[in-house]
Amino acid sequence: MNGAVAGAAGAAERSGEPAPGARAGGAVDLSVVVPFFNEEDNVFPQYERIAAVLDRLALRGQMVFVDDGSTDRTWERLRAVAAKDARVRAIRFRRNYGQTAAMSAGIDHADGEVLLTMDGDLQNDPEDIPHFLAKLDEGYDIVVGWRHRRQDRLLTRRVPSWVANRLIGKVTGVPIRDNGCSLKAYRARLIKMIPLYSEMHRFIPAMASIAGARIAEIRVNHFARRYGQSKYGLSRIYRVLLDLLAIKTLLSSVARPLLWFGTIGGAALIVSLAALVAALTGSWSEAGGPALITMGISVLFGALAAFVLFSGVFSELVYRTGDVRIERLSEVSAEVIDAQRPGGAP
Amino acid sequence: MSAPGRVDLSVIVPVTERFDEVRELYFRYRDAVRASGLDFEITYVLDGRYPDVLAELKSLIDEGERLRVIALSRPFGEATAIMVGFNHAAGERILTLPAYEQIEPSGIPRLIAALDHCDLALARRWPRIDSRLNRFQAGAFHFILNRITGLRFHDMGCGARAMHRRVLEEITLYGDQHRFLPVLAFRQGFRVEEVDVPQSPHDARQRLYRPGVYLRRLLDMLSVFFLTKFTKKPLRFFGLLGSGLFAIGAALVAWLGVERLLSDVPLADRPLLLVASLLVVLGIQIFAIGLVGEIIIFSHAKDIKDYTIDEIIG
Repeated sequence: MNGAVAGAAGAAERSGEPAPGARAGGAVDLSVVVPFFNEEDNVFPQYERIAAVLDRLALRGQMVFVDDGSTDRTWERLRAVAAKDARVRAIRFRRNYGQTAAMSAGIDHADGEVLLTMDGDLQNDPEDIPHFLAKLDEGYDIVVGWRHRRQDRLLTRRVPSWVANRLIGKVTGVPIRDNGCSLKAYRARLIKMIPLYSEMHRFIPAMASIAGARIAEIRVNHFARRYGQSKYGLSRIYRVLLDLLAIKTLLSSVARPLLWFGTIGGAALIVSLAALVAALTGSWSEAGGPALITMGISVLFGALAAFVLFSGVFSELVYRTGDVRIERLSEVSAEVIDAQRPGGAP
Repeated sequence: MSAPGRVDLSVIVPVTERFDEVRELYFRYRDAVRASGLDFEITYVLDGRYPDVLAELKSLIDEGERLRVIALSRPFGEATAIMVGFNHAAGERILTLPAYEQIEPSGIPRLIAALDHCDLALARRWPRIDSRLNRFQAGAFHFILNRITGLRFHDMGCGARAMHRRVLEEITLYGDQHRFLPVLAFRQGFRVEEVDVPQSPHDARQRLYRPGVYLRRLLDMLSVFFLTKFTKKPLRFFGLLGSGLFAIGAALVAWLGVERLLSDVPLADRPLLLVASLLVVLGIQIFAIGLVGEIIIFSHAKDIKDYTIDEIIG
């Protein structure tokens, strides 16, 4: 049986599993997370370029390569790389789960204090890594890349992406020019507190900024694809929009559910009372007496008010017992910024 | 719970309402499994009280047959019976077999052999000699289910399934969910395969179930639908549905309001207003449920992983 590890397995299980090149749990400064999906031609070049940059930097680096269920020889090559270089951790999915899942697996299994994500298709330039680190040193918590001379098709890739970025910026209130750029750097303690299921990765900056994190944007190089197929298209924009609205609603309500639901419940109560008054005075009706229909509406909205209020109480309970706290994110962030100040207590 | 690895293969036979001659079937199964050349154990799990079956199995044990019998105190469903059998299973590979003549046992070794390159091997009764009614029922069931899940399985109702131990270690089944094991296993990232196994002639007779059975099957499908589509995104589904209803209701109210201004029919004498309000209320409620679901998932997202890992190196 090969080392099958369930996705829920955390660091404990990992360290309990001796593998070639396993470190003795030492501190790592920087982990570079790269997902690969059917990128057999890109594995070695990508590794060499990242390794070259890490060699030059005076820090303890790590590379976390995630094979997102490739059907070609990607895994074979990742294994070869991991066997050769102890800084490489290779993770293989049981099947294809998508780039978001691969990124979050990489983030879950990275040891670094700073996490940097990039694409596996050679479109990002590892030479940009030092710029990201410099920005983080300035006290920012998240640094996102901006592909300012993008090497993609104008109509099918760049235009939809421009529209999507505008929308995301408007809705989340964090005007980032290029949400789709995979090249991003995070403080590990911050990113590991943000839930990254389904399409949440698009909203990392938004969530982090709600929590008070400082976000910087820097220009990065962008190359055209050399090998392999591009895996994105136009059809994603509708789904992104739906996700966006859902997550916006979630984020606006999750930290204080009772307030959010209470507002709706209050509105329903007002409608209910208005209908009650109308029913009792008969002001909307021709007959003049208490009208059945306005009475019915009053009861209906009264019940809605109660329902929504109880939903709010219930959500409050759920949130309080859960393990994700938006407020806690801001604590982490504040602490990190303090630690950056000269002489500041860590 | 026994330590795994003591035997190669654990055979689990859940006995529910439908079963055929126990003794004959046992010997046929035993011989077929023996033909695979593996070291095996056989466990019968009785889902409820079946005194006749129990007596038969006891007499088999008295004759020196190596088999284990677990009798549940009341019916819990076939899937639960399988899980109980699994908890007592020691094999690295698990084989579940129906307690009735559904397949020709000659196909069993091939089913087991398929585990060399997949995690879960399903028997597909093929060539199928079934009655038209049976085929229609099965066809409709699979058509709907494949539409929902986007997968292509042909015979999830077949009780013969071979799997590696880790499949049942990671997936918890209960009630009637054994049918959906392939769907759940695929979601968990396991490789699932169908293996053609000849159908038993005894299985071909017409089967018509009680209406309650069809209702249960429908509810099962509904739960699989939500499980596969919206476990992680309840707000996308409920939000869209709720907003849609809300919009229809609001549009109706607006229309009635305009009519009130143009003509002179008082608003409170229009029953349609009540319908419109009902839609608005329902829309908000459904939306609220979606949001509550989303909040539950968000605040417990640490336990939710979008992926399953096969291997980690380094």
